[in-house]
Amino acid sequence: VRAATLPVLLALLPAAAAGGVWFTTEDGSASQGAETPVSPAEQVPMSWLLDRGDRSPMAPVAAPQERDEAGWPGGPPPREFYFTRGIYSDHGWRRRQAWATDFPKAEEQFLTVLTRLTGVDAHPGANPVRLDDPGLRRFPILYMVEVGYMALSPPERQGLRDYLLAGGTLVVDDFWGSAEWANFHREIREVLPEYPVVPLPMDHPLFSTYYQVDSILQVPAFRGAATAWLPTHERDGYVAEARGIFDDTGRLMVVINWNTDLGDAWEWMEQPAYPLRLSTFAYQMGVNFIIHSMSR
Amino acid sequence: VFDSVFTALFRHPLLAFQQGEFSFALSRSLVIPLLVAAVLAAAAVFTYRSARGTLGRGDRVVLGGVRLAVVAVLVFCLLRPVLVLSSVVPQQNFVAVLVDDSRSMLLDDGTGGTRGGTVQELLRPGSPFRTAMEERYALRFFRFHSGTERLDDPGELTFSGTRTRLGQALNRVREELAGVPLAGVVVLTDGGDDAALELAEALPPLQAGGIPVYPVGVGPETLTRDIQVSRVEVPRRILRGSALEVEVVLTHTGFQGRSVEVVVEDGGRIMATRSVQLPGEGQPATVRIPFTAEEPGPRLLRVRVPVQEGEVVERNNLREALMVVEDRRDRILYYEGEPRHEVAFMRRAMAEDRNLQVVLLQRTHEDRFLRLDVEDASELAAGFPRTREDLFRYQGLILGSVEASSFTPDQLRMIADFVGERGGGLLALGGQRALGQGGYQGTAVAEVLPVVVDGSSARDGFWGQFTVAPTRAGATHPVTRLAEDEESSLQRWGELPPLSTHNPVTRLKPGATALLTGRGEAFPEDQVVLAFQRFGRGKALAFPVHDLWMWRMHADIPLEDRTHQTLWRQLLRWLVEGVPRPVELAFPPEDPEPGEAMELRARVVDRGYGEVNNAAVTALVTAPDGSTTPVPLQWTLARDGEYAAPFTPPEPGLYEVVVEASRGEEVLGEQEGWLRAAVSDREYFDAAMRAPLLRRLARETGGRFHTPASIQELPEEIRITGGGITQVEELSLWDMPILLFLLLALVAGEWGYRRARGLA
Repeated sequence: VRAATLPVLLALLPAAAAGGVWFTTEDGSASQGAETPVSPAEQVPMSWLLDRGDRSPMAPVAAPQERDEAGWPGGPPPREFYFTRGIYSDHGWRRRQAWATDFPKAEEQFLTVLTRLTGVDAHPGANPVRLDDPGLRRFPILYMVEVGYMALSPPERQGLRDYLLAGGTLVVDDFWGSAEWANFHREIREVLPEYPVVPLPMDHPLFSTYYQVDSILQVPAFRGAATAWLPTHERDGYVAEARGIFDDTGRLMVVINWNTDLGDAWEWMEQPAYPLRLSTFAYQMGVNFIIHSMSR
Repeated sequence: VFDSVFTALFRHPLLAFQQGEFSFALSRSLVIPLLVAAVLAAAAVFTYRSARGTLGRGDRVVLGGVRLAVVAVLVFCLLRPVLVLSSVVPQQNFVAVLVDDSRSMLLDDGTGGTRGGTVQELLRPGSPFRTAMEERYALRFFRFHSGTERLDDPGELTFSGTRTRLGQALNRVREELAGVPLAGVVVLTDGGDDAALELAEALPPLQAGGIPVYPVGVGPETLTRDIQVSRVEVPRRILRGSALEVEVVLTHTGFQGRSVEVVVEDGGRIMATRSVQLPGEGQPATVRIPFTAEEPGPRLLRVRVPVQEGEVVERNNLREALMVVEDRRDRILYYEGEPRHEVAFMRRAMAEDRNLQVVLLQRTHEDRFLRLDVEDASELAAGFPRTREDLFRYQGLILGSVEASSFTPDQLRMIADFVGERGGGLLALGGQRALGQGGYQGTAVAEVLPVVVDGSSARDGFWGQFTVAPTRAGATHPVTRLAEDEESSLQRWGELPPLSTHNPVTRLKPGATALLTGRGEAFPEDQVVLAFQRFGRGKALAFPVHDLWMWRMHADIPLEDRTHQTLWRQLLRWLVEGVPRPVELAFPPEDPEPGEAMELRARVVDRGYGEVNNAAVTALVTAPDGSTTPVPLQWTLARDGEYAAPFTPPEPGLYEVVVEASRGEEVLGEQEGWLRAAVSDREYFDAAMRAPLLRRLARETGGRFHTPASIQELPEEIRITGGGITQVEELSLWDMPILLFLLLALVAGEWGYRRARGLA
């Protein structure tokens, strides 16, 4: 059933964006499954995704993806864009490693949509990279989730700091409530002590670079979204917010999506029960992040 | 010595033989003696032939030959050989004497005195030269510098002129003495003429009038010890904040191996200094001094070398150059066919540049465009410009990864015309849809580009990595210079991480220059990384690189490193440097003296960069004292779109010239320019006596070149070679001493031969 409704969604998304009409009904009509076009050569080896059961706060994180000398994932000529997910050390409080939440289905589905909706020449597979890997610099846009559990090692901190100051852009997602905020804020203060976190105003070009986004919606985890009587928030994160960190020149270095989980919408949008309103918002935000940081 | 021996033997100077025509003044009364001589010769031959005795055949030939030679010499004399000459009639002709009255005449003449002093001594009433001249000719004295005046007494010479305009002086003298018989023009000068064209134009009328010029060169041909700032090259106009290079050429004599400082000053402030070691004798030293033009407005750069001990001429150690630093904002259209990291990184690199605006038109999806930094909502609203007016409003154009088929043929032609006719700068970046990969081969755009666009690798998709190195031209070029001096720049290039490309480009067009090349495994030949060529009025660059942004992002690049930013800034500033505006100004000559007539010239085009001949063009000239005068410019008729008006700067200083052009109600454009009128120092440059120029002047007019040492021959020479009223003169040659010597030698030879053979 995976991706059963994908073609329908793909057709609806641009219309929704152009007309400003929010579609709230789901069309579950089944069609032939649209497989994400990942060629065998570009498939990510999955073996290292297995839970290692190591729970120490400074647990060694997963091995980086194999890359050639130049820093590109092996195979045919490199693509312009790689959906790059930051691999980081966490506190080890969760069953899975925090960085890998929704991995890799979220980005795989997102990339399919991205290449349909935009002219971005994107690598169709996932591309997780450790923060202390010098090869991270090949990928100027970085996505990180569950940053409320983040516990960066000094090399990771340095790697992320240099990455951001050299011109990289970080998008963080899927962390909720004041406790997780406090953890993230403490970590990011260590990385970029001199740059404050500020709210992103709705007139920031990020919200209009490709799609016009007029308000920040709270995208809940799948169960909360698909089930009407469940709350959409987690813990005390009641209101979704977009915040940012700018560098000296006014460049948006870090985009912070707090009290919302765009990645879950990317991951589950093919489910008939998933509200189109939320998945449309999540995809539009995702596309805007990428087009914005590829042009400004 | 040769001349006096020659004259002793031949009775007349060599010059007479060169100028005169040889002939025999044979009269009828001489026929009989000739017949007698013939009979004698025949008899001599006969007697030798018939003589028998001890004489061998060889002896007979030798002795017969000698006898015949004696007879031949006698016959030659009897035929009355003469030289026919036209010579100047004494006391009926004028000779003009032109004296250089410029400042360079006050320099050392190599013998301890000044050049002017030598001249005054030669022309002093009662001097041998002047007396010899006055005996033969009526003399008229003139002095010349930037103008030419009659001179009554050589003592009036002041040697204060700031220019030497020999051509103009010759014209003036020829015109003034047109009504009198002019035997020739004597010019006393050091040959420091600075209007070579004028001189060339003055020669044909002299040749036609048969007026020879006799230059007398004063001063040494080489200065013993001197350093000179021979040339200073700076761009006339430059955008504020641009890195530029002042190119200075030093020449010297006698300071080989000496290390000297070259100082660049702007308004009394030292902008840059560079130490240079002077090369071997006669070799120029070229110094490139980088600095950044920060302050807007007209800047007077002074380039000087501190005066060294023992220099003959001190004033040629300084040169000034006017440069206008413009604080305007040039606009570059960047058309990119896909979302790309390069766009973001380039825009960030250019963000701080207040004088360059990169307007982005980026195709984010099939028919969706992102426009950034446009001036208003309508700019580029319909995508890439469709009219020349819309495209030509930009000074530069960058084509990113965008395929040729996304343009109409008209648009491709327009892009080519943007370079060739509008004079804009075109930069073609690499990318999956750029150059050959974008199907540009055979299009109008490919014609303009400096590289051969090859699509043979397009189908399979190419990708390769290379390390970049500057070429010889790139090592010092303002685009690719990464550090103050060449050495550290080259070192920096060697440290940069590799880049990659989708576009294999290995062939340059004839006339194109490569600034950067790359080497990598995927490339059998060197990849062209950055190349340019001039095309029509503009220039085109190819930069087939996919990920220049890695020079910002790469882990090996320190965060504080500015290579990426510097390279983009220098590249784009150079792209639009010198791009013409709708109204362009020129001031020939560029460095007038106060009171010297010159021209204000403007080239006017419309928004499509077609020349306009019916515009109203006015120059508002603001003098150094603040007064403003309007000067209307007229179409020159000679060239489309060219307007001119005569102008004479009355006083020294900086003149602001603002030219406005309009056609009916439509304002075509306005341009500001700066003009500097100053008393020129050029008399002190190349101040050695220029003998080659003076020799040429003599040769082309039929005169002769002299120095003060040989000037005593001049009066007689003019008599033989001069123009004016001449008479035909026959110089008899039968009584030349050489003939007598020849006869005696022959007779003595015969006697000696006989003695040696035992016949006498």
